[in-house]
Amino acid sequence: MDFSLTREQELFRDTVYRYGRDEVAPLCEEADLRGEFSFEIWNRLASFGILGLPFPEDLGGSGADIVTCCLAGEALGHAGVDGGSLLAWGAHTYLCAHNIYAFGTEEQKRKYVPKLASGEWIGCMGLTEPGSGSDAASMRATAVKKADAYVLNGTKTFITNAPVSDVFVVFANVDRSRKHEGITAFIVEKGTPGLSTSTPFHKMGCKCSATSEVIMEDCEVPADNVLGGEGKGWIIALSGVEWDRCTLLSPMLGAALFNLDACARYANERHQFGRPIRSFQAIQHRIADMKVFIEAARLAIYRVASAKDRGQMLNPLQAAVSKVYAGDRGFEMASEAVQVFGGYGFMHEYPVERNFRDSKLAAIGGGTSDIMRMIVSRIMMM
Amino acid sequence: MNYQLSADQARLQQDVTAFCADVIASRAKKLEEGVPAERDALMRDSLKRLGKAGWLAAGYGEGGLDHVALYLVGEALARACPATFVSMRSSVHLCAGAIRLFGTPSQKDRYLKGLLGGDSVGALAYSEVQAGSDLGGITAAAQADGNTWLLGGTKDIVVNAPLADVFLVLAWHDRATGPDTGMSLFLVERSAQGPGIVGRVETMGLKGVPIASLSMDRCPSAGILGDNPGQGLSQIRRLMSLGSVGMAALGVGIGTACMEVSTAHAKARSAFGRKIGMYQDVGFKLADMFAYNDLGRMLALRAAWGFNTNDREADTLAACAKLFASEAATKIVNWGMQILAGHGYLAGSTMERLYRDAKFGEICEGTSEMLRQEIARRELDRFEGV
Repeated sequence: MDFSLTREQELFRDTVYRYGRDEVAPLCEEADLRGEFSFEIWNRLASFGILGLPFPEDLGGSGADIVTCCLAGEALGHAGVDGGSLLAWGAHTYLCAHNIYAFGTEEQKRKYVPKLASGEWIGCMGLTEPGSGSDAASMRATAVKKADAYVLNGTKTFITNAPVSDVFVVFANVDRSRKHEGITAFIVEKGTPGLSTSTPFHKMGCKCSATSEVIMEDCEVPADNVLGGEGKGWIIALSGVEWDRCTLLSPMLGAALFNLDACARYANERHQFGRPIRSFQAIQHRIADMKVFIEAARLAIYRVASAKDRGQMLNPLQAAVSKVYAGDRGFEMASEAVQVFGGYGFMHEYPVERNFRDSKLAAIGGGTSDIMRMIVSRIMMM
Repeated sequence: MNYQLSADQARLQQDVTAFCADVIASRAKKLEEGVPAERDALMRDSLKRLGKAGWLAAGYGEGGLDHVALYLVGEALARACPATFVSMRSSVHLCAGAIRLFGTPSQKDRYLKGLLGGDSVGALAYSEVQAGSDLGGITAAAQADGNTWLLGGTKDIVVNAPLADVFLVLAWHDRATGPDTGMSLFLVERSAQGPGIVGRVETMGLKGVPIASLSMDRCPSAGILGDNPGQGLSQIRRLMSLGSVGMAALGVGIGTACMEVSTAHAKARSAFGRKIGMYQDVGFKLADMFAYNDLGRMLALRAAWGFNTNDREADTLAACAKLFASEAATKIVNWGMQILAGHGYLAGSTMERLYRDAKFGEICEGTSEMLRQEIARRELDRFEGV
């Protein structure tokens, strides 16, 4: 047992934190107010090498391990970078680019990964449909083989980055009678006839990630763009879960660290009834609960990450614990942070307000808290 | 970073869990029944058997205390019988632990073999009726008498008092210099001259734990722990911080036992054509039990590892672990009671016993409220005057 970080990992985390605080976070308040994807924030993340972290250097990445990827997410959240921009990064790097890296042919990797790692291209992944979320095997999108191509039809929804994407990894079924064994992943490029995106949704939080439907109407994709082989889509979709339970949660942990710092600072500065509000026990208890949450969530998230680094199979119980705790308790703690700030916490100018809205996503995206409880309870009932 | 137990740690966990399930678990119910003398004899025998099997000495290696090993043994014992764990903890973690950490070589020679072998029982007496978390309020005091010290005063709610052969007693030796330097921990051996064991109390849960007060009137002391007066309060603080991991072990052990009972019931009982665990009202409670118990264990192991490696965050992490795991335990037994419903409410049922046992964690050795203040103060101080 060893919970320590290497010296390199600590240095990297601290460097990312400073960069995020000084170069990225100052842009976030206005971008969140506009509620649009921010190319300026994107370019700053890209120029620091964040977008290509887990890929080998010859594909334009940094060869970072998963723990280091989580540290980057934690550090940027801690620095005050908004949840939407970090979600855009997560969907791009882990759900789009990494799927191409892990399951693609040499040709596909060389064509897509370097440009995604540099941020020149933006990527997304389309799995969810209007009628199927966690029950992904019941998806309705179809792919029909026609000579050297597949013709895709169907609609994907809630697709992070879709409105700004150059590269789409989408899932469709080549034979719905085979259920999940027919699900196949395709790489579809922007501009392919029959591929379109809807008007972006207006979201409650994570507003700097652009989210829309992806619509495929007789969208013809070359057979060379099948990712991982026909019928392998289900395995690819499931592999995304491993990223979702660590790297995609790490910015939420970071936001909780930001909130704790902000609340502890404010509680020292703010005076009421002739004393700093830190002297009131109701404030102290919220601060303590935030700290306990952070330590527990940190352990849960990095347990998944370090197991992945060590090549261990994902433990579905540990993955679900990470998600349900960071999601549900994280939202409660973000609410308490707003409460510490009182009226100011209700104002957009105070980042605890944004973190509160952003934090709700962790209990919803990538499998709701209810689905996590279903997974755990079914295993316990075996 | 590697979250997995080492092969040795995993073997220890497996072996001690098997021993406790085999030898200790069946005594949990008996410890709640019968007259005090019978219960005390059973407890003493359990401690002896744990000692003879080597479990009390686990973690007491050459290189100092191994807090991970202490935790693993503690969780296994608490899972089998929370009361036996609490008694063991006072004797081994607190009394023997203090002697190991702060004692002179001759004090270690005199007491550790018996305490860690299960032949003798130890106790730690620090709080009083009017002073718990605020130990500056105690009144017990020692007077020098030639080469020795004579103790006077009373100690309230002392775990193991009716059983103990050796006590560590917090008392003033020099009230004028204030609590930080005026208090010491005194070694006291049970003898005809004292301490008097008075006011035995019965408790809501953990009924097998023998608890009474100490009454001391010119009670002879076997010396100051470590021979160096004035360290008492800082020694207690250190013990309480290290001991937080043990309090977390109690919570996780109770949580694990409750989860077993609840899961078994959810599988065995059917309603309206399905096993009740397949209904979300029951299944999701099982899931929450698992999550909270799992996180409590991780926090405790993280803190224990922190103590082993002199991590400067270890004290905070231990406080977080105790707070989290003891509150998790009361949540878990509440969910468990809902799942077992009427069967759990029957006197003498395991569920009912765990429900009563769990509450201790939120109260003993720093209430949850005190822990929150302590954790918050460290966070708030980072920004004081910034």
